[in-house]
Amino acid sequence: MNYLPHRPTPAIVTIAAITVTALLMLPTLSAQAQERPRITVTKDTRAPVVIRGLNPEAASILANDLDLSGVAVPSHDGAGVFTAEGSLAGGVKGRLRDASGAILFDKAFPGSPRMAIHRFADEIVRAISGRPGIAATQIAFISRRSGRKEVFVADYDGANVRQLTQDGALSVSPAISPNGRFVAYTGYQSGYADVYLIDLANGGRRPLVRAPGTNSGSAFAPDSSRLALTMSRDGNPEIYVVGLGGGGGRRLTRHPATDSSPSWSPSGSEIVFVSDRTGSPQLFRMSASGGGPGRLNTGFSYATEPDWAPDGSKIAFTARGGGGLQIAVLDLASGSTRIIGSGEDPAWGPNSRHLIYSQGGSLHLHDTLTGRRTTILSGMRISEPSWSRSSL
Amino acid sequence: MSHTIRFIIALVFTFSFASCAKKQDPYGSGDFGSFDGDSSYGTPLGSRPEGASFFGSNVNRNVYPPIYFAFDQFQIIGAEQAKLDGIASGIRQSGRTVIIAGFTDERGTEEYNRALGERRAHSVRTALIQRGVSPGLLQTVSFGEDEPADPGTGEAAWARNRRAEFGVVN
Repeated sequence: MNYLPHRPTPAIVTIAAITVTALLMLPTLSAQAQERPRITVTKDTRAPVVIRGLNPEAASILANDLDLSGVAVPSHDGAGVFTAEGSLAGGVKGRLRDASGAILFDKAFPGSPRMAIHRFADEIVRAISGRPGIAATQIAFISRRSGRKEVFVADYDGANVRQLTQDGALSVSPAISPNGRFVAYTGYQSGYADVYLIDLANGGRRPLVRAPGTNSGSAFAPDSSRLALTMSRDGNPEIYVVGLGGGGGRRLTRHPATDSSPSWSPSGSEIVFVSDRTGSPQLFRMSASGGGPGRLNTGFSYATEPDWAPDGSKIAFTARGGGGLQIAVLDLASGSTRIIGSGEDPAWGPNSRHLIYSQGGSLHLHDTLTGRRTTILSGMRISEPSWSRSSL
Repeated sequence: MSHTIRFIIALVFTFSFASCAKKQDPYGSGDFGSFDGDSSYGTPLGSRPEGASFFGSNVNRNVYPPIYFAFDQFQIIGAEQAKLDGIASGIRQSGRTVIIAGFTDERGTEEYNRALGERRAHSVRTALIQRGVSPGLLQTVSFGEDEPADPGTGEAAWARNRRAEFGVVN
């Protein structure tokens, strides 16, 4: 919701809006060009924000959130278009003023102190840009730092790392639900690949899918109530949808090739997945109630691990070309694909602008509009990250 | 009845049983409601043996040789086909449950590799069923690029990792 009062928009915000719009209209290069396109920001389009009233640690968290958002820049010289005023006494409260001093919002933010500050940052981003922020979100991932693959979660900025599994067995294919409440993953503690569900609200874990064969590739529907995954119970790896309530499962694909790695459209009506039915793994799109899949042309002979952006406009995936594994983004309207950089297993943030992915065992945050890449966690032998849209 | 006619009747029985195995209704009870069964290319898996894990102590992984695969492929290539007759014969004679584990090399992405490893296990399972092994004796699991036979890098190591292995349940 936009809190701007009825008065002329400040000039710098108008200039920023026009510049951002112009950048978004830049043509994307097709994969055939085999180049890594760079979109550079020739003019600083981020709104300076002065931060007041918070202790140094909270101010630092807020400043980092604003910086990473791509729409704001923390002001250190006291000159700002906006002023963020926070207080910590009795819970986190935050207020945002524009250049004229008018209050755009003034509210309390729930949750732990860190998460409340992240929510404050996201509210500032929303007020400035009209778009969702990415700060009050969680990331689930696999780490081998203990020697075995285990499931971890962390805040999007790499803070608050928590180990969720300690089975000493193989734990892989984590998926955090959009609402940040559940982590589904595949664990081999029974000797087989079964899907387990962890409830982050109470730490409980229960087996969810233990069908014969291999059960993996869990992907939550946008409403966090269903899971798409790969199951091989019928004698071949196929895509299925199951409910979290434990009842009812539906098989969606019927082809003797390998079908894997589903991801949901934001409306929950479609699923994009991987199939090698044409000879090598490609992206296919189908209705979530079943029906003939159609191949998506990415220009790559190897395209896997798709993730559908929350605004529905594009699909990030892993492409394999001459230079190894790379992060690619397919724009659905234009049909063109561009390479973002080296890495694998991309996951979109709630703003459909930032991606996280793993590369070289580290977790990276990538602003696809500016090309800015930030290392979030290193030294943990990280793979298969998954990103929520909000937090508990 | 003459021996020839009995033999022919026995042959007809054997072949009709073999094709029955491919067409049986795959969906027994379970938490998954009803599906329209379509198993013309895959035979459904039966229940898992209790307490048997591929890398566990009650599973013998040294009875049969692995089947190897070409890069990014799940078809069983010529030289590997020859191994399957002896393996099928061994499984039929022992009557023991076998877990077929599928693997890939380290290249590519993990989740697709997990599914490709499973697809390789099913290629082997189908080939064994075609050679008369009862489907209920054959379980599958995929480790994808995890648990490599050779932890090294390069063509030789990768070729050793693209495989299906057999674990006989004791």
